[in-house]
Amino acid sequence: METSISVRDVTKKHKLYSSTSQKLKDIFLRKDYGEDFYALKGVSFEARQGEVVGFVGINGAGKSTLANIIAGILPETTGEVDVKGEVSLISISSGLKGNLTGRENIELKCLMLGFSKREIEELEPQILDFAELDKFIDQPVKSYSSGMKSRLGFAIAVTIDPDIIIVDEALSVGDKAFAEKAFQKMMDFKQSGKTIIFVSHSIKQMKKFADKVLWLEFGKVKAFGPTKEILPNYEDFIKTYKAMTKAEKENYRREGQSQCH
Amino acid sequence: MKAVVTVLSEQVKFFYLLRRLSWYEIKSKNKMTYLGIGWELINPGIQIAIYWFIFGYGIRRGEGIDGDPFFQWMLSGIIVWFFFNPSIIESSKSIYQRVKMLSKMNFPMSLIPNIVIFSKFYAHIGLLVLVIIILNVSGYPVSIYYLQLPLFIFATYLFIFALSLITSTLNTFIRDLQMLLQAVLRMLLYMTPILWATFSLPEWIQRMMKINPLYYLVEGYRASLLGKEWYFITNPGYSLYFWGITLFLLLVGASLHIKFRKRFIDFI
Repeated sequence: METSISVRDVTKKHKLYSSTSQKLKDIFLRKDYGEDFYALKGVSFEARQGEVVGFVGINGAGKSTLANIIAGILPETTGEVDVKGEVSLISISSGLKGNLTGRENIELKCLMLGFSKREIEELEPQILDFAELDKFIDQPVKSYSSGMKSRLGFAIAVTIDPDIIIVDEALSVGDKAFAEKAFQKMMDFKQSGKTIIFVSHSIKQMKKFADKVLWLEFGKVKAFGPTKEILPNYEDFIKTYKAMTKAEKENYRREGQSQCH
Repeated sequence: MKAVVTVLSEQVKFFYLLRRLSWYEIKSKNKMTYLGIGWELINPGIQIAIYWFIFGYGIRRGEGIDGDPFFQWMLSGIIVWFFFNPSIIESSKSIYQRVKMLSKMNFPMSLIPNIVIFSKFYAHIGLLVLVIIILNVSGYPVSIYYLQLPLFIFATYLFIFALSLITSTLNTFIRDLQMLLQAVLRMLLYMTPILWATFSLPEWIQRMMKINPLYYLVEGYRASLLGKEWYFITNPGYSLYFWGITLFLLLVGASLHIKFRKRFIDFI
């Protein structure tokens, strides 16, 4: 199987400014101003075609940042990201416009993704079919429930037939029946050799679905390997982490962060 | 120079996208109102009525300007303002408001301010047709001078686009600029011969006021619509100045835009 995603030594640096004047100086002057904060530091991993890679880690570990970099939404600061084919990111806040109808949002989203008029005409019925919104499709999206929104977002993302799909916590909303259908769809994708990145806090979903797990902690890779090897360790870690008091958690975070700098 | 070519070629290459997205821009803005797109004409109509009442009837006592009735004189100039003002205000906010919605980094970013401008362009054309009808039934028939109108429409569009490239880029990291811009625009309405004529002022003040490129555009529209003169020929120096400024703004705007566009999302 060919490599479809290759991430080499990627860092993402955010700037923390203590004042707005610092930010201005940093933008326009050569010299560096502000404090550096690394959301990702030297992350490397590879995913092959037909693989499902799960991203796990506590809040602030850099999962979503990495997902956004692979999707091409955020630029990386240093390092290299090689992605073969079209990437489609599915997240809960899928950027739907509240005062437009579902149907209008479908066209808008497809336009943004670079589809032509004819392609959109072809895709629309398939998306409608998958989203199962019935008469709500001609209602403004702001009247939708969160489950309906995620259904629409998911339907668009899978129907445009990407080579790589990134699911960022999007399956945690919506009812069981749709989650089942979405899983089935992703299984089909897996079978047809597409790569799936799966970001979730749910260990149950990970077990069921992921082939490999990338465990991130404070912007670094803590472990990467087959689900069977990595996930039990992560599960143990989560149990101890959850049992920690607030102060202990704080301490743990601080130590972890300082190791990174 | 290369930046200008990149930016302009993006506008041409993604013209269909530009058209559709600007159509959605209008739609989503007017969705919740019963009169919908009608407001794009009703709003200026109300403002014109107020300005006419205050400046034409109240201050000038119905007296004409340079042989033209005040109403027609104002109408032929204010139409530029109703295109320029909302386009600049909205397009300046366009990038920082929308950058999060773009689901791809390789989206042709320079389209964003233009989507807003293009959506205002529909209203401009609608208003222009309306103004032409009013002028025709009130003693200003279509004349040979209408032929220069497309030139001034194009000039206005390009000037707005060039300016919006600068303001929309700078606005992503200095929000204060939007406040400043609104204040400047409010002033600009009175620094342009839209509501009052400037030729009673001393020569040097008039000259100063002509630094404002909008002056050129308003006078150009007026000369076309009222059938006065070939404005761009009778004022060759001023035409040269206007195009120089516009191209300079385009150069600055395009380079700023290209320089920072990869990092827009980091600034939000």
